[in-house]
Amino acid sequence: MEAYLVAVAIIAAIYALLALGLNLQYGLTGLINFGHVGFFCIGAYTAGLMAQYGIPWPLSFLSGAVLAALAAWPLGLVSLKLRDDYFAIVSLGFSEVVRIVVTSEQWLTNGVQGVTGVPKLMRFLGNGLTQPLAVLNLLIAVNILVALAKLRIVRSPFGRMIEAIRDNEEAVKALGKDPAGFKIQVLVLGAAVAGVAGGFYAHYIGYIVPEQFVPLITFYIWMAIIIGGVGRISGAVAGTLILMIIMEGSRFLVDVIPSVSGVKMASIRLGVIGLALVLFTLYRPQGLLGDFTRR
Amino acid sequence: MTLTVEGLTKVYGAVRVVDRVSFTVPTGDIVGLIGPNGAGKSTLFSLVTGFLSANEGLVRLDKKSLDQLSSVERARAGIVRTFQVPREFSHLTVRQNLMAAAPKQSGESLADLFFRPGRIREEEAAISREVDELLDFLRLSHIALTPAGRLSGGQKKLVELGRALMTRAGLILLDEPFAGVNPVLIQEIASRIRDLNATGISFLIIEHDLGALTRLVSTLHVMDRGRLIASGAPAQVLANKQVREAYLGGTS
Amino acid sequence: MTAFAELFIGGLMSGIVVGLAALAITLVFGIARFPNAATGDAMTAGAYVALSASAVTGSTIIGGLIGALAGAALGVAAYALVFRKLAGRSSVANLLASIGVAFGIRAVVGLNFGYQQQMFQLPLVRPWHVLGIRIQPNDLDLAVVAAITLAAVFIILYATPVGRRMRAVADDPGLAQVSGISPSRVMVALWALAGSVSSIAGVMYGMKTVITPEMGWNMLLPAFAAAILGGIGHPIGAICAGVLLGTLQEMATPFVGFTYKIAISFVVLLIVLLLRPQGLFSHAEGAR
Repeated sequence: MEAYLVAVAIIAAIYALLALGLNLQYGLTGLINFGHVGFFCIGAYTAGLMAQYGIPWPLSFLSGAVLAALAAWPLGLVSLKLRDDYFAIVSLGFSEVVRIVVTSEQWLTNGVQGVTGVPKLMRFLGNGLTQPLAVLNLLIAVNILVALAKLRIVRSPFGRMIEAIRDNEEAVKALGKDPAGFKIQVLVLGAAVAGVAGGFYAHYIGYIVPEQFVPLITFYIWMAIIIGGVGRISGAVAGTLILMIIMEGSRFLVDVIPSVSGVKMASIRLGVIGLALVLFTLYRPQGLLGDFTRR
Repeated sequence: MTLTVEGLTKVYGAVRVVDRVSFTVPTGDIVGLIGPNGAGKSTLFSLVTGFLSANEGLVRLDKKSLDQLSSVERARAGIVRTFQVPREFSHLTVRQNLMAAAPKQSGESLADLFFRPGRIREEEAAISREVDELLDFLRLSHIALTPAGRLSGGQKKLVELGRALMTRAGLILLDEPFAGVNPVLIQEIASRIRDLNATGISFLIIEHDLGALTRLVSTLHVMDRGRLIASGAPAQVLANKQVREAYLGGTS
Repeated sequence: MTAFAELFIGGLMSGIVVGLAALAITLVFGIARFPNAATGDAMTAGAYVALSASAVTGSTIIGGLIGALAGAALGVAAYALVFRKLAGRSSVANLLASIGVAFGIRAVVGLNFGYQQQMFQLPLVRPWHVLGIRIQPNDLDLAVVAAITLAAVFIILYATPVGRRMRAVADDPGLAQVSGISPSRVMVALWALAGSVSSIAGVMYGMKTVITPEMGWNMLLPAFAAAILGGIGHPIGAICAGVLLGTLQEMATPFVGFTYKIAISFVVLLIVLLLRPQGLFSHAEGAR
């Protein structure tokens, strides 16, 4: 039983990390990023592949974060030139292209079969509960770190400029400061956080295939931050918890109700997220996407 | 930093909002720009600072053409403007508005934010002191912590002015800086502009308050319906018949 | 040489599918003013309904017609339940809702029809040989269907009152409201039209390839790229761009590999948005 709870908690913490990254991007810049899973994918594959070569995980996680950040940078440049709905489409396309690349470059990623045998983190801790608990603690620590980082940013001169940009971009330019640079830095940081989440994911699940990085994941995370209240850290965490209850609940149902197979459950989850997206767009417009107004 | 404007033109459909305007703001001068409402003065500011692109003409800072530079780049090159309708950062406090304007802050880079917290603390402290002095001077200290969106029109103008002053720009374009400001403070601001001018900062000022302006500037330009109709020393310009007609037809 | 010609014909067929899907997108984008991400899954739904209907009735043609009708119904339902209430909201809010609708359709399709690949039972016909090039008569039939569909769409848009109103709303929704054109009747017609066009595209796609729950979503990016390339709100542009893009994708397959096809659409999308956001055929607003 404890093993199950720890497992759920680990997945929750990984999703929470993804949510914190997205929350950083949307909360600070109002950018509608529908391609978040792409950064997750880059981080996961980087960590998984590097593990095959025996590269220690702190290094591979860092590499994953850096690569995700590098991918985010041109996307950020593009975002400056596009209306929010067009950028949303482009970012969605970006994550699909990432998925296409990891599917196609078989020499690197082993294509559809994916990368297997990714070892558990800190496996010197043995086969009992200690190892997963340690991973969970590490994940929670990283989550806290990211949350603290966001607070630090918000209360800093950088955060001041972010507010100023939201209030009046033209006046910011008149002071000789480029709003673009600020927005891109935030996008890149959020992507790096997603990359780290990817690293944890690879080592936890043990194998990585392209199918794990479909747009549905991006919209899980959007649902999490929408449910919890966009822009607020507590919202990102609360939303993730609620999301996990829905997801784990459905997994539990699969075991209990014999006629519902895994694939069907996947469809049900898809439908639930779809319904949730529609309902929240209709009935919970505060600070919702596109209506990105001041708090 | 001499500003040279040559044949600057902005056309909207059939209307020549700015029509072949040419003048200079020599280094270290305070120059005034007046004219009835709708004469194109603020548009001229936008053209010079890169917020609007001109249809014809060029803008030079010393020898260097500014035409390829964006508004951000022009501001960094040393030309800073204020807006006729104040564009304060409404959710930031007055103090934060001024702090935000200080140039070259390490704290505005994420990398420095996380890796050089000490330097940022120092910079913030230094900027803080400067801001305090400025708040004091502009008589805004008592509302330093008020969100700028809640201020009166005149107070917002002062915040705009304060921000412009914080930038250490070499050439400051002020768009009606005295509007809504009480007369005693206007005198002090004029005096401060003179002091700053003595340290080498040039000013180009749009104003309707002719009294305060004429005592401040060395040269006065007059715009009417997009064209520059008179230039020269304040006394002569104001005696000019064409100018008087333009104004009698307009306001002030 | 013949291989090239056959690849080209394959490209044209793919292009027709992309063109129809792009048409559906551009109609909604031009009139309801948001990118409808449910277009792809409407294609999928149309294909599955047509498949079931043709199995039941024994006729592919009737199956296809029923599929088109189902598409129209789906479009109207989506409007009535979701998009009507989002009328004043931002484009992104509508886009997000349409993603939700897309997921919902896909979930229902998957639960109802299963996840195995399925295929239309088309009669086996010997291909024609024209100048040594193999031409499938089925392809010709599909092209005729596409032509009929396009003709119908254009007749509706340009020769009927409701079509005139649609175009008026596309040009200026505020004006349309003021002059007394009832927006919601126009919108119902729009969504029915877009839905049926999507379904027909899906049926065609299903007939040329296989039917899976993911098929429509995979077409979404090319369809968007084509709609934007053709200029949002320009039906002819969408179709031309779709044919162009589809042909390009197919013809590039021997060079870039079959999985990178979609990536070509992405590149095209990026280039158009960054360099000529109003598309090839339009003079309207850009992407900013």
